[in-house]
Amino acid sequence: MSASDVIGSERMEALLRGDAPRSGAEERRAALLDGLRAPQLRAPEALRARVLAAAPAPAARRQRLPRPSRRLALVVVPLAAALAVGAALVHGLVGSGGGSPRPVPVASPVQSHTLEKLPATGAAPSSGAGAFRAVAVPSVGNANRLQHTAASLQVRVADTDALSNATQAATRIATSLGGYAQSVVYRTPQSGGGVADLELRIPAASVQTALARLAGLGTLVSQQVSVQDLQHAFAVQSAQIAQLRRSIAALQAALRDSSLPDAQRVLLQIRLAEQKRALAQRLHARKGTVAAGTTARVSLVLSTGNAAASVPHHRGRVGRMVHSAVGFLALEATVALYVLIVAAPFLLLGGLAWALNRARRRREERRLLAA
Amino acid sequence: MKGVNAISSSLDPPRALGARPRFDEVAAEQLDAVYRYLVYLTGDRAAAEDLAAETFEKAFRMWRRFDPRRGAPRTWLCRIARTVAIDWFRAEARRKRREETYSRDLGEAVEAAFGDGLSAALESALRELSPAEREVVALRVLLELDGPSAARVLGISQTACSTRLSRALRRLEEMIGDVRE
Repeated sequence: MSASDVIGSERMEALLRGDAPRSGAEERRAALLDGLRAPQLRAPEALRARVLAAAPAPAARRQRLPRPSRRLALVVVPLAAALAVGAALVHGLVGSGGGSPRPVPVASPVQSHTLEKLPATGAAPSSGAGAFRAVAVPSVGNANRLQHTAASLQVRVADTDALSNATQAATRIATSLGGYAQSVVYRTPQSGGGVADLELRIPAASVQTALARLAGLGTLVSQQVSVQDLQHAFAVQSAQIAQLRRSIAALQAALRDSSLPDAQRVLLQIRLAEQKRALAQRLHARKGTVAAGTTARVSLVLSTGNAAASVPHHRGRVGRMVHSAVGFLALEATVALYVLIVAAPFLLLGGLAWALNRARRRREERRLLAA
Repeated sequence: MKGVNAISSSLDPPRALGARPRFDEVAAEQLDAVYRYLVYLTGDRAAAEDLAAETFEKAFRMWRRFDPRRGAPRTWLCRIARTVAIDWFRAEARRKRREETYSRDLGEAVEAAFGDGLSAALESALRELSPAEREVVALRVLLELDGPSAARVLGISQTACSTRLSRALRRLEEMIGDVRE
């Protein structure tokens, strides 16, 4: 076969369409195509009858639901995303409703109270409630219950000297009541003014006194006190600890039995180790609960008159709704990510198996049809 | 390519784009084409007859999956026919292996399979082609499917389909030439 006999794909398509041949090779090819098309190869009548009998009339055909199109994914995915956002918004709306945010503030008077003017030194008053009668310190908590108290106060002082003195005084107040200052951030920018942020830990029994004395360091601008009841958590933890101790005792008694088969002994020892570890965790958690219940957290912001103090922000309903919705979305994302992480290896394996099977079938098809 | 499409559309009655034809109409229209394709693919009329019936049975069960926007009924039916035929080839291969094991090679009866009126040389040459070569000839020449549709039925690229067709036709020409000489 010479080079001129080679028919390009475009000419081949033209010949298939029935175009006139342009060369000897094309004439031969056209004749071949005519030869192939010449015989009338029709399906036998028996086959026709068989096939048409199997195809029922439209009226007799059972109506089935249409198979969902792949394009449905284009609708389903945005719909799922919209549902997720909608659920988060609903959760946010419900969560921001009339109820109070947690921890439940038993008293949250965000009010400005004017105190009696303190001495210029700003030193902490020694003691006695007389000097702080104007301070509206709410009565918080219940002495018979384990409760965590958190308070935040913003107090304005006259100038940077007073700020320095008040900061030292606040630390002394905490120490004198058996607590301590966890952190102190003191800022006096060159532009003037100054702010001191203090995180104080005060024994729960002395929190009322501490609040009164801290409020007396200057002019009380705002105050918030919240109490979270820990009694139930404490009771649950105590019950769990008691249960674990009983379980450990029973396991230890069982292990003392010399007739115990080795396999069962190993199992019991494993369970004992697990129970001991769980007991240690519960004890640690209860210790944390007790610590939280016996120590109050007091955030104090001292600021001079011309300084912009960072006021603890209390969200409104919209703010709570947005916060709650964002939290719920984050939860949804976490769950989706978790599912993806768990399912990914299986999906990957499934995809690989499918691809391998497809390749194997293709290879087998080629082999069968090449014979 | 416009002309190729014209041929294809002349074989499939014009319908509104995406309009769903009735199965009994499609079966009546496409039976000959599917049968011809299967005859070429298997080289055995009796087998092609059984496989055509099986193809339409399967097509009827899968009819709700047919989407006219994604291809002509002929292309869809040929793909089903090909799957059915490959299963048959697989079964045939197993049968032949068994027969070889028991040394019962009965021999294959040679008869005109590819159409009455076909020249003996062409009949013989077609028999020499592999099923893969015969099926591309059937799809492009007899059923007049366009390149993309034929490639879709075969599960290969359009270029590979074109190459396979050229090779098959060239082989046919060579074999016919040898017979004439």
